[in-house]
Amino acid sequence: MQLIYMVTKSNSKPIAAIVGAGRTKFGELWYQNPEKLLFDAGLKCIESVDRGLSRNDLQACFFGSFLYQATNKLGLIPGYMSRELGLNIPISMTEAACASGGSALYNACIAVSSGVMDTVLVGGFEKMTDRTGKIADDLMFAADPHEFDAGFIFPGLYATMMVRYLYDYGSDREKCMDSMAMVSCKNHHHAMGNKYAHFRREFTVDAVNNSSLVASPIRLLHCSPVSDGAAALIVTSPEKARELTDTPVYIVASQQATDHVSLYTRESLTSIKTTKLALGAALSQAGLTMSDIPLAEVHDCFTIEEILFLEDSGYYKTGEAWKGVYESYESYKGSKHIPYVNGGHELIVNPGGGLKADGHPVGATGVRQAYESFKQLRGEAGDCQVDVDGPIETALCHNIGGTGGICTAHILRRDN
Amino acid sequence: MSEPIARRKMLVDYRIVATRCQDCGAVYFPPKSFCDKEGRGSTMEDVYYFYDKGKFLSGTTINVPSNKFSDYGAFVSGIVQFKGFNVPGRITDYEPPAEGVDVTEFIDRGVVPRFRRNYMDGEDGLVYYSSLSFSFADKYYPYQEYKVIEPETESDKPGIVGYGTYIPKYRIKNEGRGILGVTERSLPFLDEDTTTFSVETGKRALIHAAVDSHLVKKCFVGSESPTYAVKPVMTTVAQALEIGEKLEDGFFSGGVDTQFACKAASDLFVDAAALVNYPVFDGDYVMVIGADNSQAAPGDALDYTVGAGGTAYIFGKRDVIATMDAYVAYTSDTPDFYRREGQKYPRHGGRFTGEPAYYKHVNTAMAAIMKKVGLSPADIDHVVCHSPNGVFPARAARAGGFEPKQVQESLVVQKIGNLYSGSSLTGLSAVLDISKPGDRILMVSYGSGAGSDAYLFTVTDLITEKRKRQVPIRDQIESPHKEYVDYTTYRRFKEMS
Repeated sequence: MQLIYMVTKSNSKPIAAIVGAGRTKFGELWYQNPEKLLFDAGLKCIESVDRGLSRNDLQACFFGSFLYQATNKLGLIPGYMSRELGLNIPISMTEAACASGGSALYNACIAVSSGVMDTVLVGGFEKMTDRTGKIADDLMFAADPHEFDAGFIFPGLYATMMVRYLYDYGSDREKCMDSMAMVSCKNHHHAMGNKYAHFRREFTVDAVNNSSLVASPIRLLHCSPVSDGAAALIVTSPEKARELTDTPVYIVASQQATDHVSLYTRESLTSIKTTKLALGAALSQAGLTMSDIPLAEVHDCFTIEEILFLEDSGYYKTGEAWKGVYESYESYKGSKHIPYVNGGHELIVNPGGGLKADGHPVGATGVRQAYESFKQLRGEAGDCQVDVDGPIETALCHNIGGTGGICTAHILRRDN
Repeated sequence: MSEPIARRKMLVDYRIVATRCQDCGAVYFPPKSFCDKEGRGSTMEDVYYFYDKGKFLSGTTINVPSNKFSDYGAFVSGIVQFKGFNVPGRITDYEPPAEGVDVTEFIDRGVVPRFRRNYMDGEDGLVYYSSLSFSFADKYYPYQEYKVIEPETESDKPGIVGYGTYIPKYRIKNEGRGILGVTERSLPFLDEDTTTFSVETGKRALIHAAVDSHLVKKCFVGSESPTYAVKPVMTTVAQALEIGEKLEDGFFSGGVDTQFACKAASDLFVDAAALVNYPVFDGDYVMVIGADNSQAAPGDALDYTVGAGGTAYIFGKRDVIATMDAYVAYTSDTPDFYRREGQKYPRHGGRFTGEPAYYKHVNTAMAAIMKKVGLSPADIDHVVCHSPNGVFPARAARAGGFEPKQVQESLVVQKIGNLYSGSSLTGLSAVLDISKPGDRILMVSYGSGAGSDAYLFTVTDLITEKRKRQVPIRDQIESPHKEYVDYTTYRRFKEMS
């Protein structure tokens, strides 16, 4: 498959920049209506621009949401967002299930790198908890109808991948299952410093392994939660960025790949093709390899997905990520973050807790990942700030839709 | 789901329709109009996997189901691999144990497609069926190949060309010596009902008869528990089994659901035989199905004798295994058992259902047909009477002058319960399973309300050759894979149907 590179394939040349970012707390926000969440994230985002930015400077808005029509009984999202922003600018609604936010950012990168626009707003949003008991059925919109008719729920689809993974690679079943739990423990540990996280609570491996069964072998604590929340970014051209701040975060790669919406028609149950394609293209676009990446926001909707990422990215060999996770977690010495170790390289994944602990308001997640990376690269991540020798230069954002029907990969750099 | 969507879905789901590229052989499910590899120049053909078998690729237990499946409790869903493509499916006839199950143990096991109900749209909406439910091939339901065989003989008399009986896997025991001679009974799984029974029995009848379904021109379904008050089971059977010559997505065939208590199906035997002998009908075969999830109010006397399942017969004149030699029907307006429109359970007249109702009609029809053909009881090898329990048919046969051994082979009611509209048809199938060429079989049905049909059949030489394609009812009754449930589970399963 030939992916189209935006603007240029030259190494690490920025195609866009992020100059501002804002978000709300993620969680069961029963008392906040959608407009308030959008306002809070948008306001924080705009006010975070160092040299100031007016709402009227925005030339377009790229908005990602998966279930807005179902959860809020509202279509024509551009018109809705026009009213909420008080602007009459072009507004695009991106629906790509859990990758709606990442896809909105991808579209913004196209707009900016094309030269048509130089200052746009990227928003990600979901209000899921209002649907209470209906949300599990709603989420199956991101699967094939035959999968719904077969009785699947989303944890069941990922459990199907996990079962096959255990069958093919889980030579030590107990350790392999422990590694799936360790992903959860690690991400919950990372969220302890995240004031916006849905859950700021540590769990032991035993607690995960003994939590209630959702879809065998996936248990409750292997799953990301149903959350409400919003996140926003100001994306500009690199040139515009330097007018607005001395510390822009550059986007040096923006890629998206698609595959079948249906898990059962895919080539593999233990590998996400879109991750390989989008991430491979992004690394190539940026002129980097995984050994150049110290920090990654990974789509850990279920812990098996983070394991698959570690293999699909090439960080660990196929079938061996669980061993890497297990050994990394076992060798953890009590620092703020628990890195994955491979040879002499350390990779910190989901420093703010990821989807698992920070929360997963579906459409907001991809934007939240860029928010988190933006803050980390600028050293503004507060108690979540990654504490390593020297500044973190590069961060990767990996956002999956459905069971892998779409993936966006963005690589952000602190400096050009 | 709206009705148009339901219609489109069933065209794919009932028979597991995929498309195959005639150029490279790639198979696509859901069906595609072009081949990914060959492009727009590819020629695609429909292929069906309804009679095929696959293997379990991976899956999971669903412990927290979506709302549509909330009545099922925990179940297993997975991905099934056919030759060259995969489908998602739910494992049926299986409930994972409360302590959980290691689903990796299911990987690579053979599975057979089963026509089952997926879910219902509330109390008054559509009921959705699909063959994307699967049971393990090494368990209760064996895989059978469906192969059409060109008939070699033509009989002067019409008769039975093939039959298929389906008894669900689940059973409940009546403690002690049983109740009215019934020691255990069959019951539907959570996703079974009269429609699924009808498709299952029809499928087995086609396999047994080795008849091309497109040559079957009429299908009758008799039942007391049809899925809908208005909407025939027959059309679902016709769509799933492709009954009649196909044109676009429909079939040149007719039929009807019938209702006459327990003789709703047996009444149509003579009509089926007559039709295949009638030039204007211009058809080779007619299918008659009797099936029920026999209804009984909780705690009622019937609640300890009712069963579930049914039998389908294919009538014709080619390669007949039993000719229909005589027929008598006897009818009166006798209100012994009834169910008003909209009511869930039938009511009955207690002991009034016996002498003035069952025995009067069964024995009158029995005597009349014996007189008509001029035979004595000793000339008959097997007697089959409608079997509401284990006592009535034995007593009726004795009253007709027959020895207990002549009725014994038909008394499967003792192990499966009263199948209502499927009862006498299933008793007949139990006899056909063990009959020898030349055997004479007398069958007398009974339907409350009331009436009896008496038929005389003579078994032909072909019964032996066709038997290898049969799933005998005794194998189903004695299967090591049948599963007993307690009364609470029995009611839960039964109420879902």
